[in-house]
Amino acid sequence: MSSGEMEHTLLPKAIALPVFSSDPLSSNAYATQEMMLVLALAGTMAFSLILPVSIAVASLLWIVVTSYRQTVKAYPSGGGAYRVSHENLGLYPGLLAGSALLIDYVLTVSVSMTAGVDAITSAFTSLARYEVQIAIGFIVLVTLANLRGSKESGVLFAFPTYGFVVAIYLMIGTGIVRCIGGCPPAETAGMEVPVETVITFALVLRAFAAGTTALTGVEAIADGVPAFRYPQSRNAAATLTIMAALSTSMFLGISYLARGTGIVIGEHEEHTKTVVAQIAEAVFGGGFMFYVVQFMSAAILILAANTAYQDFPRLSSILAADRFMPRQFMNRGDRLVFSNGIVILAIAASALVWYFESDLNRLIQLYLVGVFISFTLSQTGMVIRSLKLRPPNWRKTVAISGFGGTVTGIVLLVVIYTKFVRGAWIVLVMIPMLMYLMRSIHSHYESLARQLGRPDRKPVDRRPGNQHVVILAASVDAAAARAVGYARAVRAADVTAVTFDRANLSPWKRLAPDIPMQHLETHRSRTQILKDYVRAKRRELPQDDFLTFVVPEILETRSFLEIVLHPRLHRLKASMLAEPGVQILDIPLLQEDIDPEMDDSKEPARNYVCVLVSSVHNATLQAIEYAETLQATDIRAVSFGLDPEATEKLGNDWLNARIPHPLEIEDSPYRDIGRSLTNYIKQYEADGLNRVVTVVLPEFVVEKRRHQILHGQTALVVKRHLLFEKGVVAASVPYHVQEGRTLPNLEEGPS
Amino acid sequence: MGLLSRRLGELSRPPDEIRAQNLAAWAASIEGATPIAKVEARCGCKVAGVVQNIRIDPREGTGSIEATIIDGSGHLVAKWLGRSSLQGIRLGVGLIIQGIAGVSREDEFVVLNPEYSLVPGPEHG
Repeated sequence: MSSGEMEHTLLPKAIALPVFSSDPLSSNAYATQEMMLVLALAGTMAFSLILPVSIAVASLLWIVVTSYRQTVKAYPSGGGAYRVSHENLGLYPGLLAGSALLIDYVLTVSVSMTAGVDAITSAFTSLARYEVQIAIGFIVLVTLANLRGSKESGVLFAFPTYGFVVAIYLMIGTGIVRCIGGCPPAETAGMEVPVETVITFALVLRAFAAGTTALTGVEAIADGVPAFRYPQSRNAAATLTIMAALSTSMFLGISYLARGTGIVIGEHEEHTKTVVAQIAEAVFGGGFMFYVVQFMSAAILILAANTAYQDFPRLSSILAADRFMPRQFMNRGDRLVFSNGIVILAIAASALVWYFESDLNRLIQLYLVGVFISFTLSQTGMVIRSLKLRPPNWRKTVAISGFGGTVTGIVLLVVIYTKFVRGAWIVLVMIPMLMYLMRSIHSHYESLARQLGRPDRKPVDRRPGNQHVVILAASVDAAAARAVGYARAVRAADVTAVTFDRANLSPWKRLAPDIPMQHLETHRSRTQILKDYVRAKRRELPQDDFLTFVVPEILETRSFLEIVLHPRLHRLKASMLAEPGVQILDIPLLQEDIDPEMDDSKEPARNYVCVLVSSVHNATLQAIEYAETLQATDIRAVSFGLDPEATEKLGNDWLNARIPHPLEIEDSPYRDIGRSLTNYIKQYEADGLNRVVTVVLPEFVVEKRRHQILHGQTALVVKRHLLFEKGVVAASVPYHVQEGRTLPNLEEGPS
Repeated sequence: MGLLSRRLGELSRPPDEIRAQNLAAWAASIEGATPIAKVEARCGCKVAGVVQNIRIDPREGTGSIEATIIDGSGHLVAKWLGRSSLQGIRLGVGLIIQGIAGVSREDEFVVLNPEYSLVPGPEHG
């Protein structure tokens, strides 16, 4: 173990640099060019300002990096702009930063892909006509790679990032040497562009705003501090510095050579080569190295787009943890859920590329508003924090962050002023809309929490006698037999079976003579008939009793496709959840697990019950009461992947509520609750015949259907995982919530 | 070449291993703490670790609270009897405990009613 010591102090930055810096470093591929496009409006004369403006941009990067070094030290658990502003400035500044960044991550994908395609079309000019198609094609590829779950591998990042840095440094080095006796002229040197304006201060500001793209990645490092090695803050701060040093030297080098080789570029020139391409051509005289530079530029730009695929879900999960986004965004580990964020990102980015016809110069007008909003808020937040907490050296922090915040605030005004009519207004309209949406989601969760917190349920001892069972037997098979065994083991007050197929009646009599079967006529939709049936049954039962609707099913393959292949059963279960006072118990059985030698209808000797909990409220208490009716060998509650503060609250609430069952609070890496739970229940060694595990899932059902998307997603994910676990049955215990009104009444039917 | 391939190996290392290394580096930074792997039965050791899971059992009389801590070298259980609240114990927090280590039926070290103090863990500052 001690041989690892040395690597440990050496390598964190080598890993972190490519992972976090591909985005800011890649912007060097187009930053100089975007500046020049603005200056070109005042004619080629204005290109004498390239270097002064570049130096201003480089200085700004150093100011922001110096300030962010303070932030990563103060927030070792991740100090993105959202968290810092929310904590120190309040709710709305936090939401402002959050929405601004989400929009900017989408733009990172569009802008980087567009610039990457420009690098390709500079090398192969005949492809220029297909820029939109190629850019969207790359977005689709990166999206697919992320959906498949390409692990964030260091090697994958290291190659293009370091390759790009080396290629650009070689180009700059060779260029400087060749410039000693007068720079080699670029292909466009000596050309003229139409002069549309004189050099004004506003034009210089616009050029400056266009050049500030290198600052986008700083935020990602601040958000990702926990991903660094211990001591995280110091490593993150060092990575910021290295990134800034690489970025500014490359940027200044490219700007110097752009000026030296006399490149001329104008907004009206269609499909001209990029500035970097022209420099490479002039310096290396075309040939192999020219293609290397183009290839590396394209590679790092596509990679930069890929980092947004990490940043966007990361911020979404932070926002979801604070209940500003649907809870399902929290479960970063779950592939299918995680996909939601990726798909949203891909669609939005493709739409932008398509609408702006893959024109970098137009897309870039929307970019950076979000980054500068978040910079300004984050640094203001740091100033307030230091003034309040007065940590050691607080005066230094106030000075650095205060200065940084003021500068980025001014740049923000410049960016808005220079870009507003050219497209930034779109972003400025989108941000308040997103903020409103997040605020609404939050108030929904809050009102729900208030209702659930109302102590109208006290834990009461329940007995199997409070349990009533209805088995849906689509056919009389091994799974149906297991359902019979389970129902017998529970010792319910009464058990009945229902079927739509008359042919099932006599095999059922042989299988379970003790359980009556009722044949239902299919004159209407089956779902409706079943709903009517359980509703009638429900009416006869005492209000506090449970009515369990058992759904046995045989699964052909161990694939999530099963859900897609049996949509009707899936829909039936979903709509049954909406019936007040009905619980759904899923008994899945894999074809390969069926043993014809065994009697599946035998009562399992042991039934271990796990109740999945996240906090103590009415839904949890109801689920525990339910568990108590199952004649369980052992009842325990488990929780996975909660925030540290929530774990302490859960434990204390559990003790206060005097719930007479043990509670286990487990960690879940990457909040992959489904996988953590399946690993956890392996300890019971369930075989489905003698030993069964019942996972009880408390679920919420809300009145408004469109709000249902905000709930029950965790349960959905968990159930999907449990489907293929041997001997595991899943019980959904829905709790009906009526928003902002009286507490739910089990007697009341749905409106 | 050896150095290069080792470094490439480092780069592609799974996040779990990085986590364990972070943990070990954090634990080593706490003064006087014995690595869990070096703990012996009945020693009055001082051990530092991060809380990985919490078990609450209200059934046994007044109830027990168990916290499993890890330090990158192993795990150990701290168990308190007769407490009615967690008092700062939560997942991810750094726990420094001092007490006599016993061995449980599951063959893991258990320290009964240890004295403890809380410090920030490596991931939650």
